[in-house]
Amino acid sequence: MTTLRDTTTLADTRERPPIERYQGLRMFMANKAAVLGAILLGVILIISYILPLFITTDKLAYVASRHTPPLTEGGPILGTDYLGRDVALIVMHGGSTTLEVAGFAALLIIFVGATIGAFAGYYGGMVDRVLMKVTEFFQVLPGLLFALVVVALFGASTATIVIAIGIVSWPPIARQTRSEFMKQKGLEYVKAAKAIGASNARIILRTILPNTFPILIVQSTLTMGAAILFEAGLAFLGLGDPNNLSWGYYVGLNRQYFLTNWWAVSIPGFMVFLTVLSLSLIGDGLQDAINPKLRGR
Amino acid sequence: MDQPLLSVRNLTVKFGEFKAIDGLSFDLYPGKTLAVVGESGSGKSVTALSIMRLVELGTRAKVAEGEVLLRRDDGSTIDLLKQSERAMRSIRGNDISMVFQEPLTSLNPVYTTGDQVIETIRQHRKTTRRDAAKRALEMFEKVRIPRPDKVMQDYPHQLSGGMRQRVMIAMALSCDPRLLIADEPTTALDVTIQAQMLGLMKSLQQETGAAVMLITHDMGVVAEVADDMVVMRNSKFVESGSVYDIFEKPGAAYTRALLASVPRLGSMKGKTEPERFDLVDREGM
Repeated sequence: MTTLRDTTTLADTRERPPIERYQGLRMFMANKAAVLGAILLGVILIISYILPLFITTDKLAYVASRHTPPLTEGGPILGTDYLGRDVALIVMHGGSTTLEVAGFAALLIIFVGATIGAFAGYYGGMVDRVLMKVTEFFQVLPGLLFALVVVALFGASTATIVIAIGIVSWPPIARQTRSEFMKQKGLEYVKAAKAIGASNARIILRTILPNTFPILIVQSTLTMGAAILFEAGLAFLGLGDPNNLSWGYYVGLNRQYFLTNWWAVSIPGFMVFLTVLSLSLIGDGLQDAINPKLRGR
Repeated sequence: MDQPLLSVRNLTVKFGEFKAIDGLSFDLYPGKTLAVVGESGSGKSVTALSIMRLVELGTRAKVAEGEVLLRRDDGSTIDLLKQSERAMRSIRGNDISMVFQEPLTSLNPVYTTGDQVIETIRQHRKTTRRDAAKRALEMFEKVRIPRPDKVMQDYPHQLSGGMRQRVMIAMALSCDPRLLIADEPTTALDVTIQAQMLGLMKSLQQETGAAVMLITHDMGVVAEVADDMVVMRNSKFVESGSVYDIFEKPGAAYTRALLASVPRLGSMKGKTEPERFDLVDREGM
């Protein structure tokens, strides 16, 4: 074994090809639909957050006679609603409400779902059985109805809406995280971490959780889309925060005038559609970028 | 002779009613290499995992009886089977480390190799990240990783199997354990890398003075690196002794059969094509 050093250094002295640091980004960019989704979301974010900074007029002010159609001479570009308010202005301001409610709800869903899924999947046995029964309980609740009850009971503030959406939407994330944890915990690197003296908390948080990020990241974009639809549904039924007109709430307000005033309903509705579409396109792109096995399907 | 570092006494591990290990006893002396030999399913890996107290992890296995006595630095002994999980955590990696069979899957894919070794050091030693990084670099050099500073920044998938096994060994030895358990560390590697790894482990053992418990089914590996050996079959102890004695005069029929399963140099002389081994008569063993 005197030649040990020589033989070992021989084996790996050749330069390896430089590693692709931005391979994921490239895969994402290769998916044209995903790029479209990202651009779309960018435009929606600009409309919702940047443009309102430059407009100082009161969004709720009377600007032209009621039910002025879009592109009318002298009227606002997207017409007025049943109170003569500028549809374009209200839709623009409504974006941030919708996106914030959905964003916080998605965060809550991921946090609760991932935590419960991680515990159930990692510990297994009794912990798993109890947590999964709880998950099933929430899964069989009729989601919209339960959320309606929560909001009706505790008042239609942004916080209660976020919590209501969160409570009924976390089970799928919990199940997915659980199955991922069950899969990962049997792998050798987890056993190796254990053999090196890592605690359970450490293994859950630092060893396994980062390995579930690919799935959680993709899921969070899709969850956010679902949360937007949920918020729109609740708001449409009148359970939105009346102080912050979200798109769904605005659709609901205008729905009885739909036959004479289609634009005040369609335009915010279309914005919801575009936002959810952009998020799910991004989700698809991320899936491609993160999960090489699905590439080139 | 020295006091044994690790004494396994009458260890019995059950999977439900089935006994995966049935009354196993052996001693492991400081600075020596003990090979645990046996065919697949004979209980070698379960023995290793029982010593680490990892056997009950995610399986139905239960350590039914026995003692695993570890001698501490001050000369006292503790029974690992009676330690709390918290105490075991400080023993794992610190006093006893383990290297697994599959270097391809035993590193965490989402962290760089350097990070993983640094984290291991920081779990057991109160040091700054900078000092731990210095120590990790030393360990990478010690296991003869070329360009260690570069490899520390690589993710496991960027390394070959042999390199990953070196990283595993560096990680296992980073806190100066007195016992290294190697569960078939060379099985997943090709033959040339196997020889390198065995040589590496042997010289590391001389440098660090750690005892090694080597689990293998490869008699060639045993002859190469081990001082003593324990033969297991069907969950039971067959025989133990120094490698020299057993290779010279195997006491049990099964050991003879195991040794006979390795072709002898020159036995194929004059033959033009490969032949079947003689099937060993297992009756009466």
